[in-house]
Amino acid sequence: MPTAIVTQSNGRLVHVRLVSEDTTDTTMPEEAMLETTVLEDGVTGGEATPAQLKSAAGEAQVTVKAAPNPIAPTPKEALWSAGSFLVLFVILRYFLFPKLKKGMDARYADIRSDIEGADTVKADAQSAVADYEKALAAIRVEASGRIDAARQTVDTERNAQLAQVNARIAAARAEADQQTAAARAAAQGQVAAAVAQVATKAAQLASGRAPDAAVVQAAVTAAMESAGSR
Amino acid sequence: MIALEFPEINSILVWKDIFPNFPFNKVALIAVLATLISATIFLLAVRQSHKEAPKGIRNFAEMIVEFVEDGIVMQTMGKDGLAWTPFLLTMFMFIYLCNVPGIIPFFQMPATARMAVPMFLALMVWVIYNVTGIKHQGVGGYLKSTLFPPGVPKALYILVTPIEFISAIIVRPFSLAVRLFANMMAGHILLVTFALLSEALFQAKDKVLIPVGILPFLMLVFLTSFEVLVAFLQAYIFAMLTAVYIGGATHPEH
Repeated sequence: MPTAIVTQSNGRLVHVRLVSEDTTDTTMPEEAMLETTVLEDGVTGGEATPAQLKSAAGEAQVTVKAAPNPIAPTPKEALWSAGSFLVLFVILRYFLFPKLKKGMDARYADIRSDIEGADTVKADAQSAVADYEKALAAIRVEASGRIDAARQTVDTERNAQLAQVNARIAAARAEADQQTAAARAAAQGQVAAAVAQVATKAAQLASGRAPDAAVVQAAVTAAMESAGSR
Repeated sequence: MIALEFPEINSILVWKDIFPNFPFNKVALIAVLATLISATIFLLAVRQSHKEAPKGIRNFAEMIVEFVEDGIVMQTMGKDGLAWTPFLLTMFMFIYLCNVPGIIPFFQMPATARMAVPMFLALMVWVIYNVTGIKHQGVGGYLKSTLFPPGVPKALYILVTPIEFISAIIVRPFSLAVRLFANMMAGHILLVTFALLSEALFQAKDKVLIPVGILPFLMLVFLTSFEVLVAFLQAYIFAMLTAVYIGGATHPEH
């Protein structure tokens, strides 16, 4: 004998299904070929009472089953979700998360260590650069001192040599002046003698007697000095 | 005119068992898959060398861990809360992977749109934060810090204490469960609605209605994208509130 499974929600007919007695699946929804027949036999508008359905189904056994509340929690779903969650939690908490975190921490420690090492190397390099610059500055100072000293030495030597050369030039010039003066004096003597001779001759020719040589000589000397001073 | 035949609500929320005589339906399958996928991601991640720069699945797993640590734990509980990272990570991953099937073809059902899943999670959180509070402060200290918030005039405790009791003991787990459940169920129903409307319009006998079907279809595409965000956001909010409740029970002065 078939069984009519009627599903109701708030007194309203939701679903009617005829099943044979050995069928155990009572879950919904599923189309039933006999649904229309049953509904057309006096059941209208989706509203039916079990009595109406029973009469509509004839000799069929009528089972009225309330529709599941769509927002009510079902135990099997709660159990499966709880089981799944707890299994995942145990796997993550005790096996996978510690391994992953340990790896992350080790890598971060390595990175931190590398950064610290790089900082140390950078500090060392900066210290070396500072030392180098300090040494460079000292060398520059020393070089500058040496250059100044050399320059001083060169200046001293140059001045000394210049003084020597100047002295030599002065000596040569003095000697040349002396020679010039001597030559001039000799030339003046010769000129004076020649002039005195000429003057004596001229005076002798003019007066018929020879003038005093000393007077002529004095006159010539005075004349030459006078000419030399002009 | 078209007549849109919307399916009975149970047909889009209540699922038959997959195997006969074995209580295992689509929601249970999603919960199990969420566990398997999460475990697989982390299993594959830990098999890669940690010495090299992380890439691929390890990078993804580390990104999730850092998101939970920096975005949830450190924001709400500080360094003391880092011990809770595995729990919050499990919670975030599990909820997210239970939410996402709502937009995955063939699944098209978020497990969290069934009350059983959020209810279990909310009750578990409720038990955990109350036990943690009692463990850290003792029964009296926990009740005092929960029911008698400092800085309130004593006369107002007549009003504040019952409100705090209802809020912390009753409303918190209820709101935690309902927020997740309602958001995911509403999204699921909206997707079904616009999918059915699009189908009905595209297959309408009146040819004039066929182009109109593009409108609900575009809405369906938009809502599907939106559900991607909602799936993430709801998982984040649930994990964040869990951290806030546990942090509050651990350090009431904060």
